[in-house]
Formats: sequence, structure tokens, C-alpha cells
Amino acid sequence: MMLMGNIIYPIAGLLGLYGFVSLASLLWEGIDRKLVARMQRRVGPPLIQPFYDFLKLMSKETIVPNTANYMFRAAPVLALATAIALLAYTPMGFTPVLASKGDVIVFIYLLALISFFKIVGAISSGSPYAKIGAAREATIMVSREPAMMLAIFAIMWRLGKLGVDKPFSMGIFYQHNIWEIGTPMSFVGAIILLYVFCVWLASEIEVGFFNIPDAEEEIAEGLLVEYSGRYLALLKLTKALKAYIAASLVVAIFFPWGIAGYFGLTGLSADVVNLLFHTLKVFILLFVVGSVFRAVTGRLKITQAVDFLWKNVFLASLVGSLLLAMEVIM
Amino acid sequence: MNGEAILPYLIIIPLFGAFSMPIVNLLGRKAREAWAVIISGATLAVGSALFYSVWENGILVYTLGAKSPLGQGVSFPIRIVWEVDLFGAIMVLMVTLVGFLAVVYSLGYMKHDTGLDKYYTLIIILELGMLGIAITGDLFNFYVFLEIMSIASYALVAFRNDTWEGIEAGIKYMFVGSIASAFILLGIALLYGQYGTLTMSYLAVKLAQNPTVTAKVALALFIAGLLFKSGASPVHMWLADAHPAAPSSISAMLSGLVIKIGGIYALARILFSIYGHSVSMKTVGWVIIIFACITLIVGNAMAVIQNDMKRLLAYSSVGQIGYILLGLGIGLAAYGSQTGEIAMAGAIYHTFNHALMKALLFLIAGVVIHQLGTRDLNELSGLAKTMPKTTFAFLIGAAAIIGMPPLNGFASKWLIYESSAIFNPILGAIAIIGTAFCTAAYVKVLYTFFGRPNERVMKARDPEGSMLWPIIILAVAIVVMGLFPWQISDKVMIPAVKALENQLAYISAVLGGA
Repeated sequence: MMLMGNIIYPIAGLLGLYGFVSLASLLWEGIDRKLVARMQRRVGPPLIQPFYDFLKLMSKETIVPNTANYMFRAAPVLALATAIALLAYTPMGFTPVLASKGDVIVFIYLLALISFFKIVGAISSGSPYAKIGAAREATIMVSREPAMMLAIFAIMWRLGKLGVDKPFSMGIFYQHNIWEIGTPMSFVGAIILLYVFCVWLASEIEVGFFNIPDAEEEIAEGLLVEYSGRYLALLKLTKALKAYIAASLVVAIFFPWGIAGYFGLTGLSADVVNLLFHTLKVFILLFVVGSVFRAVTGRLKITQAVDFLWKNVFLASLVGSLLLAMEVIM
Repeated sequence: MNGEAILPYLIIIPLFGAFSMPIVNLLGRKAREAWAVIISGATLAVGSALFYSVWENGILVYTLGAKSPLGQGVSFPIRIVWEVDLFGAIMVLMVTLVGFLAVVYSLGYMKHDTGLDKYYTLIIILELGMLGIAITGDLFNFYVFLEIMSIASYALVAFRNDTWEGIEAGIKYMFVGSIASAFILLGIALLYGQYGTLTMSYLAVKLAQNPTVTAKVALALFIAGLLFKSGASPVHMWLADAHPAAPSSISAMLSGLVIKIGGIYALARILFSIYGHSVSMKTVGWVIIIFACITLIVGNAMAVIQNDMKRLLAYSSVGQIGYILLGLGIGLAAYGSQTGEIAMAGAIYHTFNHALMKALLFLIAGVVIHQLGTRDLNELSGLAKTMPKTTFAFLIGAAAIIGMPPLNGFASKWLIYESSAIFNPILGAIAIIGTAFCTAAYVKVLYTFFGRPNERVMKARDPEGSMLWPIIILAVAIVVMGLFPWQISDKVMIPAVKALENQLAYISAVLGGA
């Protein structure tokens, strides 16, 4: 029974989630491209275009530059593996598969590790364009994560004060949510943090202002310049998974409500319904933060983006966290 | 297993090995190398057996020259005693393991040097000195072993005496180290004059009965001398010269072992087992914490700006000593509480982990120097192309030292972060800032290693087996220890702290309730 409960079920759940999220996140890319095309009065590609792209890339010849070392080939696999491992800690309408006390750190760590592997893969190619892209990615990463970390720790700490069995776990959002605190100050704080998380999400999936590391015009696709064939397919899939995961975090913090309760469902069927509803919320959030933001703005310079993230977003995160924590501190 | 029967062999074997080395050397190069490997391997076997025995049965006492440490008709110890608790046993295991790997590594690495009979004699004597410090229960005996260790390391730092930097670093280290040793000797002399005994456990009893100003002066001298030996800021300057100048196998032992045995271990032993309840632990704890914070920031920040690979690793060692001192300081300042216990467990765990990681990193630096003849990071771009195994091991070592979760550095650093954040959030923040610097330093090296290969690097190859295997063993140990962090912490490190904090057990093991 121990074996079943502790090993088999989590693995089955993880594989199921991986299958579902891969399909959903690639499908979202198709929807996203279609919607942005419609905003620009184009017809746009069919909804399942990303699947065609993926299959085509998988079947193409993979070219490895002769200046590349082994990490060039290992990095896409490691990045995808990290993203899959991350799924086990992602709240997706229900408490994550491997939720435990303090796993928020694992979540943040694995999310950053995906970017780190991308960076290592890029510098391992030996191409100077990729190196510039990697330096940009690292700069953006260092600038965007503190705002998110401050905010998420403040929220989790505040929710922990309401009484939970596993503090600082990703499952906490389904026990209490940020709107429940109820005081006007915490409400204002929550709104500010919602803004912080939306900007963070945009910079995490690199759209709009933040489409800087693989700026195709100046540095020829940046990070991904040397990647082709299978590796490029893996990296694109990782990127789609990461967008879904990052959006899931924001949805879980701010809009965690499930609908299974209204239908009187329990057990597995409740989880499936909640997962589908959660996916719908993720799509809506990605539409606002991803598609619209991408369609209406261009990119910033790298220095402007860093300034923006520190002077605007981090400051907002500080103010929002303080407001949220106010009643407890005072 | 009878621990008392095997304890003397921990000293006998290396002593015999070192003294017979000049004779064995007459049989030729192969015999000399085989002898060094056999001696250090046998020491490793004894060290692991001893560790197991102490882990099973608790404190081990061995008296030189008689069955009982007490004299006939008197109730105080008159003989030299060796006393090994779990903390000491962990140190013994660490020294013998890294020492053995460093000797094996030397076979390939030192091949092109001359005077190797002296080299192997010195390296075994260095190991002997460290083992003596870890097992002794006598204060003067401790000083003798400390000097054996120190003098062997002065000689080994300056071993390549045809290079200017070897001589320079050796002189610097020797001057500074001798002064530090003199402090310690003066402290011992003061204590002996005041209390008339040199046995640590009996001294602890006398101190508790009659705490005097002399004891405090002696304590100040001990702390000053031992912080020198551990390379704490602001007296870390010898370390940053000595580590790069020494042969890499010696750097690995200096950075992995010497600064911890001669610094951290001795400090913890003197503070907990001798001064335990006779001075204000809180005050002493805060003194250590202040030095720890300075060391943390200075060491890690200086590591970021280095261009010399070994110098970077040396400064990183200073920074990591800062973490261990922080754990030790909090363990003292919060003595008796759970926070203090966690902090001290973190310090001991990090001592062991850092020995493995830093030995690994220095051995790799040695491979790079051996293959390419340069330590300048600007010339090492793209090393991953031609030395894949070496750079992969470096990746593991760097990730472990930063404290990435699936590796062993995570758990030990986590214990220190957690306890410092509970004890005083500002200290937690300082520890995090130190790690940020440390990350920057190692990412810089990785960025170089994985970049575009330059011409110089294209001729490099992975090293031969005798240099590669120690690296692989250390990397595997880091990964395997990383998979069971909390088990190791609960089964070994926490009991070690309990043994260290239990001064009464330490005393009564020697005095036998007398």
C-alpha cells in the first residue's frame, strides 16, 4: 500500500498531468496566434498549428555546431525534465501531487532552473549571438524574480496566519485565499500584488515589453540561435509548459475557486473538472497578459526593462506586501 | 568492534608510513607511490572503522601508557588521554577520506616534480597532525599536533620552491601561522599556570570550580589564534596566497581539512568541552558571530572579482568558513535551545560537506593547471568542449557549494539559514547575501567553462585515471549524500551536536565519575 500510495499514484498523476498540460499549452499557443492575428486583421494559422510545428521540428535534421560542448545537447533535455518535475508542484485546480511543507521554494527554484538550463545551453553553443541572449536572459531573470519572491512569501505568510496544516506549501491556496482576509487594506494590497504578478508573468513568458532575450531583429533569435531540429522542438515545448505553469501560479493565488463543488462531485472526477476549469482561467489570464500585451506593445531596451522591474514592479511588490501584512504587523 | 583497540593505529600507521618513507624510497618511484597509497588507504580503513565504532558506542577514551588515565592513589588524570566523541569521529572520517584521495591524485599530478619522497612524507605527516588534533583530549598534545600539521603545511605550500609565489606564500603563511601558534601556546601556558593540569576534561572541572581572569585571557588567545588558523576575516590574507601557490592536491587538503581541523574543530572543542559552562556562552557566541558575518561577506565578495581560478576558490573557502563560524557562533549564543542545536548541526554538516566540495573543486583546478598550464580564467574559455568529465564534475561541485537542492550543500546550508533566521533575521539576511555573491562567483566560472573554446583549450584532454578517479569519487559522494540529507542530519549530525554539548559526559568519560 505504501508503494501504491507514495510512488505509483504520484507517478501516474504526474504522467497524466504532463500529457494534459503539453496538449493544453500547445493548444493555447495556437489560440494565442490566432487571436493576435485576428487583432491585426489577419486570418492566422489553424488552431493546431503548434502541433504541426512541433512534429516538423522533431523530424528535421539536428545540426550541432562544432564549437558546442555536451551541455548544448543536454540543456534542452534538462530544461524539459525540470519543467515536467515542476508540474508535480504546480497548483492546477487542486492541491499539487507532491505538495509538502515549504515546497514553494522548490517551485521557485525549479522555475528559475529552467531559465538557467536555457542559459547554459545557449552559452554552450559557442555563438556570440546566443551569448548576448543568455546575458540578457540572466539580467532579466535576476531583476524579475525578487519582486515575485517577496510577494509570494508575503502572501503565503499571511495565509499561514489564517491557520493551515502545511505552511508555505503550494496547496495553501485551496484552503484560504487572498481575498478572504477581507480588510480594505489587504484588498488594496492584493490588487497591487495582482499587478505585480501580471507583469512578472509577462516577463516570465517574455512577451510585450520583455521579449528581449530572443529579440529576433537585433540578435537573431538570441538564446535559441544555434538550436535546430529536435532540440528546438524540446525548447519550444518547454517554453509552452512554462507559460502554463507560471500562469497557473497566478491563477492559484488570485483566482483559486473550483466549480466541482457546485456539481457535487468528489474524488477524481472533481479534480478533472477543476483542472479543466483551471485551464480555462489560465487561458483567460494568458489572453490578457500574453496575447493582448504582445499585440499592443513592442519590446523595451534591456536597461529600460531592468529599470522598470526594479523601480516599478519591485516597489509595487514591496508596497503590496506591506499593505497585506499590515494588520498582522501592527 | 572494539574502538579502543584500533584507535592507536590511527596515529601508528601514518607515523610508521612517514618515517619509513625515506627507506622505502630507496626501492624506487613505484614503491614510494604504492607505499603512500597503502598507508593512506589503511588510515582510511582505520578511520572509517573508528567512526563506526564511535557512532555505535559513544565516546571513546584511550590512555597512553596505562589502563586508566588516573594516577595511582590520586583522583586526577596524570597521563595523556585521547578522547573521541562523534564530532571528532566525523572529523577523522573526513580527514582520512580526503587525505587518501589527495594522495591518489598526487600520483598523476606531482609526476613532473622532484623531491617526491619528501612530498609524500610531508603529506602523510600533515594527515597525522590533523588526526591527532581530532582525537586528542590533552591540551598540550593538541598543541603538538597543531604544530605538526602547521609545519607540514608550511613546507607543502612552499614545496615548489622554484616558483616565486610558492616561496612568497610559504613565508607569509609561516610568519602568520607561527604567531597564531604562539598565541595558542601562551594560552595553554596561562591555563597550566593557573590550574596545573593539561587534560581537557579535568581542566573543564577546575575551570568550573574557579573561573578566573586568567582563563578568560587564555580564551581570548585561543580564539585569536584559532581564527587565524581557520582563515576568518580579517586574518584571511595568508589563505588567499597559500591556496593558489600550493600544489593542488595540497590546496585541496588545506582548504578542505586544515582550516577546519586546526580552526573550527579546535575552536568548538575548546569552547564547548573546556569552557562549556565557565564563561558566558552568549558573549563568546556573539564574538564569533561578528567575525563570521565579516568573513561571509568579505570572502564571498572577494571571490566574485577574482580572475585566478584557485584564488577564487580560496576566497570562496573563506566565505564558506564564514557559514561554519556563523553556525558555531549561533550554536554558542543560543546554547541549549533547539535553534542552537540546529545551527551547530548545520556547522558540523557544512564542515564535512565543504571538505568534499572544496577538495573536488581544487582537484579540478589542479587538473586544469596540469593540462593547460594556466589558472587565468580568461584563458580557460570553452573548457567543456575538450574536458567534458572534468567540467561536469566542476558543475556538480559548484552547484553543491552554492547549495542547490539535489546536492549535499543544500541541507547543511539550509540548517544554517533556518537557525540564523530564527535566531536573528539580520544574520539570516547576511547569510543570503553571502550566498548571492557565491552564486555570482561560480556562475562566472561556469560561464567561462561553457563558452566558446579558445585555441589554447583545444589541445586539452581529460586527465589520466589516477587524477580522474578521486574527482569522480568525490562527485559521487556529493550526489549520494545529497539524496539523503535529512537522514544524515538526524542520524549523525544531531547526535554529534548532542555529544559536543554534553560537557558532563565528556568529562566523566575520562574521570570515570571520580
